[in-house]
Amino acid sequence: MAISPVYALRETGQNLWRNFMLSMATVITIGVSLWLFGGFFLFNYAVDNATQRWEGGIEFVVWMNPEATSEQNANILDAIMTSPEIQDYTFVDQDAAYEEFKDIFSDTPELVEVVTPEVMPPSYRVVPVDPDADVVAELASQFEGRPGVKTVVSANDTIRDIQDLADEVGTVFLAGSLVLLAAATLLILTNIVSAIRNRGREIEIMKVVGATNWFIRIPFMLEGIMQAMLGAVLAWGGLYVIDQRVIGRFSQPDSLELMAGFQVESDELIFTGGLVLGIALAVSVIGSSIAVTRYLDA
Amino acid sequence: MIKLENVTKVYKGDHVALRDATLGIDKGEFVFLVGASGSGKSTFIRLLNCEEVPEHGTIHVAGKDIGMLGRWKVPYLRRNIGYIFQDFKLLPNKTVAENVAFALEVIGKPRHVIKKQVPAILELVGLSEKMSNLPSELSGGEQQRVSIARAFVNRPLILLADEPTGNLDPQTSIGIMRLLDRINRTGTTVVMATHDRGIVDTMRRRVIELDRGVIVRDQARGVYE
Repeated sequence: MAISPVYALRETGQNLWRNFMLSMATVITIGVSLWLFGGFFLFNYAVDNATQRWEGGIEFVVWMNPEATSEQNANILDAIMTSPEIQDYTFVDQDAAYEEFKDIFSDTPELVEVVTPEVMPPSYRVVPVDPDADVVAELASQFEGRPGVKTVVSANDTIRDIQDLADEVGTVFLAGSLVLLAAATLLILTNIVSAIRNRGREIEIMKVVGATNWFIRIPFMLEGIMQAMLGAVLAWGGLYVIDQRVIGRFSQPDSLELMAGFQVESDELIFTGGLVLGIALAVSVIGSSIAVTRYLDA
Repeated sequence: MIKLENVTKVYKGDHVALRDATLGIDKGEFVFLVGASGSGKSTFIRLLNCEEVPEHGTIHVAGKDIGMLGRWKVPYLRRNIGYIFQDFKLLPNKTVAENVAFALEVIGKPRHVIKKQVPAILELVGLSEKMSNLPSELSGGEQQRVSIARAFVNRPLILLADEPTGNLDPQTSIGIMRLLDRINRTGTTVVMATHDRGIVDTMRRRVIELDRGVIVRDQARGVYE
């Protein structure tokens, strides 16, 4: 005969309550580890989204000296327009550059006040045909040092810097979360072993009267799964905070232009939430399975 | 109902708990297992309940060769066997009724069956008035009655009792034996390990005597020695 859901839930609830402190420690550890794990994914998504915006648009910027002569400007424009390796370009004049500057530094009006459009460098934002990093770097270098050019900034360098930083931060997040997930698995195992020992007499009676192994196991396994699910809910809360308060901050109009695409789409957030839930389930099933097979059937 | 053929059980360190035991116990029999401590009585009972596996020989219980029984089928066999412990093994945080109901609940019996069977068995063992008491509020004899009710509530074919009167005074033991006798008269086979000479001599049932794992006597209407 199948196990009654009422019986299973009652026994699971009693087990959790009897080991309340240890259960809470397990839930918090699972929550934090899953939060770090999910945070790693959200951060990667945000970086990918931010860099995609760059990769699909401007690949390098040729900053002109504000004092460049019209002849020097014309030479650069001619070089851009005649190059078969350049797909598109946008010229940002001093007024437009000043407007951008005002947007970026709207929080610091004292800085805006001392800057005038005349000191702003105009720029050519260039989109090459081939977005390959080496090709773009080679193309950008052709404009370096030419008369009237102040500097050339390749967006690829910036993207690389962001991606390198993201990789390093992500590795730390991932390593930390994996260590904590291992700790969480051991905590689930310890918690269930403790529950099994607390209920030694009950288990002995159950076996003697003919309860099946699964009937005895299920409440203990459910205990581990419940702890992991509560941990996942905790992690979801933490991920929501990361999305809204940390990543969301970069999407606001007053944030840096470079970070404007640093955001997580709703489908990516849902996927990460599902992944966190799946990992929680896997951790709980592994921990509780080891506990019941090693300590219950013995 | 129970058949042993050349059964030998050896524990670690080459300690032979049961040696080449062969016997049969029919349905409805009442059998005393007697012998000194360490003679193999408890091993005999544990073998019948599939808690131990013999090194040699075959054991049939309730028509099943338990050596051929898959591990997952053991719980279903145990539902035909009631088990009474010397130290009662009641759950201290459950009432008398809950202790008995527990045995039905964990084998998946529906609630309406539990509601019907628990009061009936508690009436049989004379504890209808103490259904809501905790084990700590009962005497030793009453606790053993609860243990018997728990073992018998599922109406098993066989009742195994490992020194059920070992922790009780003589007067209380007589009450317990009357109860076991009453259960036996319903057709249930009872196998009871005991050191209690008075009980064995008074009841005059079949006696199987073990000595260092060997069956040295199998006597119908026997006495302790």
